[in-house]
Amino acid sequence: MNSIASTATGQNATPSASTSGHGVAARAVNVSKIYGAGDTQVSALDHVSVDFARAEFTAIMGPSGSGKSTLMHCLAGLDTVTEGSILIGDTDLTGLSDKKMTQLRRDRIGFVFQAFNLVPTLTALENITLPMDIAGHKVDEEWVRSVVTTLGLNDRLTHRPSELSGGQQQRVACARALASRPEIVFGDEPTGNLDSRSSSEVLNILRNSVTHLGQTVVIVTHDPRAASYADRVIFLADGQIVDELRAPTADSVLDRMKHLEEI
Amino acid sequence: MTTSTLPPPSPADAPPDRPPQRLKSGGSVVRKVSLRNLAAHKVRLALTVLSVVLGTAFIAGSFVFTDTLSHTFKGLLSDVGQGVDVQVTGQEDDSSGVPLADVDRIKTIDGVRAVQPVMSGQIVLIAADGKPTQSGGAPTEGLSYSPPAEQLGQPYEFTEGSPPTASGQIALNQGAMKLAKLQVGDHTKVLAPSTGTVDVTITGVYKTKTDTGGYIGALFAADQARSLFTDGKHIGTVYVAAQPGVSQDQLRARVAQQLPDMKVITGKQLQADTEKDINTALSFINYFLLAFGAIALLVGTFIIYNTFSMLVAQRLRELALLRAIGASRRQISRSVLLEAMLVGLTGSIIGIAAGVGLAYGLRSLLNSFNVGLPSGALQLTPRTIIVALLVGVLVTMFSAYTPARRAARTPPVAAMREEFASTGTSLRRRTAAAVGFGLLGAIALAFGGLAPSGGGAASLVGLGALAMIIAVLLGAPALSRPIVGAVGAVVARPFGAVGRLARTNAVRNPRRTAATAFALTLGLMLVTTIAVFGASAKHSINALVDNNVRADYVLTGPDAIGVPVQAGAVAEKVPGVASSLALSPLDVRINGKSSGGTAVDGPLAQLLPYKLISGRGELSGHNIMVSQTWAKDHKVGPGSSIAMVSSDKRSVTATVSGVYENNELLGPWLGSGDFGREVTPPQFEQNFVVLIKAQPGTNLATLRTNLENATDPFLVVKVQTAEEFKGSQADQINGLLGVLYGLLALAIVIAILGIINTLALSVVERRREIGMLRAVGIMRGQLRRTIYLESLLIAVFGAIVGVAMGLVFGPLFVHTLRDQGLGEISVPWGQAVLLLVLSAVVGVLAALWPAARAARTRPLEAIADL
Ligand SMILES: Nc1ncnc2c1ncn2[C@@H]1O[C@H](COP(=O)(O)OP(=O)(O)OP(=O)(O)O)[C@@H](O)[C@H]1O
Ligand SMILES: [Mg+2]
Repeated sequence: MNSIASTATGQNATPSASTSGHGVAARAVNVSKIYGAGDTQVSALDHVSVDFARAEFTAIMGPSGSGKSTLMHCLAGLDTVTEGSILIGDTDLTGLSDKKMTQLRRDRIGFVFQAFNLVPTLTALENITLPMDIAGHKVDEEWVRSVVTTLGLNDRLTHRPSELSGGQQQRVACARALASRPEIVFGDEPTGNLDSRSSSEVLNILRNSVTHLGQTVVIVTHDPRAASYADRVIFLADGQIVDELRAPTADSVLDRMKHLEEI
Repeated sequence: MTTSTLPPPSPADAPPDRPPQRLKSGGSVVRKVSLRNLAAHKVRLALTVLSVVLGTAFIAGSFVFTDTLSHTFKGLLSDVGQGVDVQVTGQEDDSSGVPLADVDRIKTIDGVRAVQPVMSGQIVLIAADGKPTQSGGAPTEGLSYSPPAEQLGQPYEFTEGSPPTASGQIALNQGAMKLAKLQVGDHTKVLAPSTGTVDVTITGVYKTKTDTGGYIGALFAADQARSLFTDGKHIGTVYVAAQPGVSQDQLRARVAQQLPDMKVITGKQLQADTEKDINTALSFINYFLLAFGAIALLVGTFIIYNTFSMLVAQRLRELALLRAIGASRRQISRSVLLEAMLVGLTGSIIGIAAGVGLAYGLRSLLNSFNVGLPSGALQLTPRTIIVALLVGVLVTMFSAYTPARRAARTPPVAAMREEFASTGTSLRRRTAAAVGFGLLGAIALAFGGLAPSGGGAASLVGLGALAMIIAVLLGAPALSRPIVGAVGAVVARPFGAVGRLARTNAVRNPRRTAATAFALTLGLMLVTTIAVFGASAKHSINALVDNNVRADYVLTGPDAIGVPVQAGAVAEKVPGVASSLALSPLDVRINGKSSGGTAVDGPLAQLLPYKLISGRGELSGHNIMVSQTWAKDHKVGPGSSIAMVSSDKRSVTATVSGVYENNELLGPWLGSGDFGREVTPPQFEQNFVVLIKAQPGTNLATLRTNLENATDPFLVVKVQTAEEFKGSQADQINGLLGVLYGLLALAIVIAILGIINTLALSVVERRREIGMLRAVGIMRGQLRRTIYLESLLIAVFGAIVGVAMGLVFGPLFVHTLRDQGLGEISVPWGQAVLLLVLSAVVGVLAALWPAARAARTRPLEAIADL
């Protein structure tokens, strides 16, 4: 099978060289995000510039409140920036209408949230094909089948989310994110609610989709072990990118985190 | 693999065994949280209060409306018996009254201070525009004016002009002057059934308490009243006042002794009797309004309960958090109850005010349709306030408490971790109970349908209907899945994914769907039942006219006085008329019981062909014909003699000449016109209708003009073809239906507001999910469409159940009344389909605001913390 299955070791030692080569999937240019006004003003992102290369798995890390979620939301078109611009492929998100923005999220971006990913009234399969159904696009049956098979969801397709375990729910969410073959998949702590085994499953799925299908994936995580699945780790602190690590291992990430805390 | 760095599920941090006492001012903290919470979720709070407002407004509104109606009706008769110590009348209601000689005799009885003969009768007052004045259901009567010295009660208080002193003069009450747009000194006409039109001049205006009701009271000088309203030999009613020191009972005994043939009662008794009569007369409307009040209570309760169940379900996490930090169950319950009480109280108070507004609006609506309800000042009684407050507060507290108790029982951690799928417990028991009630109902309905026509059968059907309503109330959640599924498959299919979302949302919580739709179900059940009644009544009348009436023209008059006797006589002589047939009421007593027949003056067989079952169709002299049923009930047949007593106490022996097949137009028995005149005092003579047959070859249009010209002096006579006659009967039925629909409109408005409320709350409740849908790319328009469709499905579900019930109950009720003139069952299919379509539209309209709210949800709310 030429799909995302295969060597599920999780540790991929061959990170793609850099941002060049395959081109850029998403890019933040000098992005600032300021919440509130006056005394209560909070600068969640402070002139952040970063590229995410195609077919690369990036993890964003940093202390709580450092702006990880904010960055991801801005990149994913869920929120607008105060300053700077965001590009998905060649599309500049600045000033896009709600309709265009929604279309972009629907057709070109996939999401895996920490929780509440699924529509409780729909079955797993209906949830997986939801973005395509909403768009009125024809569902690529063969592709969806292979995704579902790879994710081990074949015998769960007619179940409703309430009948699935947390790990299964996250796998369904991954399946949904991958099913429409988006340009980039975002996950905000996608394994935050899962035990180690389930989170390994989910991370393997994401890793393999990058390795074997050239999918671009960006996740936010607090877990060095989760970050070790990535090709590249970006460290945020106080709304700024303070460090970057390539080909991370759990230990090197932990090390770097300790180091950052000391500063 | 190392797991140590994975963050543990945080809520478990709180030790479960921490004693509640640790929270020193626990109660007040919980209360503070509870109050802050109310303030924080303003929309939710507003919707909650709104549900109570709706519920109590509906209750208060229907009570205010009921009270106003009955107060107005009572007001019309409140002065009866004022200053009267003894009333003398004929032994029976329908008798001529007290012979003039007896009136003089009363004056000589020891202890009598004054005697006031009351002469009154139904009239029609011609307004300034030459048309009959519409009194809107209140009586229009002519009365004899008694000067203050002879007036026993309050003397008339004149605000303008002077009392009538001679024939041709009348005084009117202020309300009548306004209604008829007349001025003192104006000349106009008054119609009395027996005498025809009388020219009158208005000499004065008097004040009366009953003005507000649309009542018209024309005062005539005594002589004219006597000639208009009596036979010249009897006085209908005589009021007697006692001298000081003589009690009502003493005087009654003395008068009764002197006049053994008369009915003599005390003034107190008169007041009690009048009160009883009013209540009997109002009982139909009271039952209806009581039923309406019950519906109001039920629907109001449902809306409140529904809303609070949703509210507490949404707050499970917050309550669980409070529990986790150590608040005791009791504290939680108390705080929820306090909150509910505040909401209930506020909502009820606003609701009562809104209810008065509703009643006002309803009355204006009905008045604008001119449906003939008397109008008076709105009545807000303490009972209304107490009931509305009690229901508002208690139902709110109960509605809040039940789910809160469940919340308190939920293990804190479970409640905080999981988004609660608030589907609740299994529906199995509830559905089983529904099946039980359904079976009982079906049995009662079947027996009611099979029972002989009449009140017993109708009660059985009513009982069956009640059981069915309970069955539906209980079974609706179980019904919602298949019905919404089926409707959704048709309606939502074209909408693809959006349709699927809507369909699954509509049955996400069957209890809630059922409760939301229930108000609409109930309202449309009544609307459909009534529509079946109306259609059947119209159909029955049409069939009756089509099958029986062979007339070219039908003359009719106002209900109260019919076609004046002289008008009939004049019409008969119009050139081109071959024959005419006047139908008039016959009132006699048979074996001491009053019996109403029909006097037919004219060639019956030609104009109203009937089917003779046995004997001969002869009506000359004292021959009468009787209907099949009447013959069976009275065990008579051709040749039988029947002893009758006329209302002026003369005995007549009638002979049955033939028996005819039951015929609604003809009634139970028939006598000739001469027979009618023999047994009816002239002042009671009136014609229901006069049927006219043209001579062959006559130009019908010319004949019509001639008939109209001939009857024109009588002002109130209408000349119609049989078709037009059917139409005007249908109009009358439509008018009555209009009143009922107007009342039900209130129920339906509340139902719609209830749907809006539930939808809006469920949009708030599903904020995260909606945000997530937005994040994965659902367009605002698609989201709105989803909510519209969801609402449409819920509304149509409610409508289907309601209309289906109405389509079962309506025909069954009509069937039980088949011997009361509702021989034909007609099901208004078109109307039923229209109701379903309208409910779909209503569903969409109800969703407008909630959908707009949902569409404003930002995608980020999917991930936002609660
Ligand atoms: N809607 C908002 N309004 C005001 N301030 C906000 C809002 N959202 C985030 N912030 C602030 O912006 C900063 C960055 O928040 P963000 O959620 O991006 O942090 P994070 O790195 O994702 O933290 P965590 O690891 O705890 O999820 C924080 O200081 C936060 O308080
Ligand atoms: Mg975050």
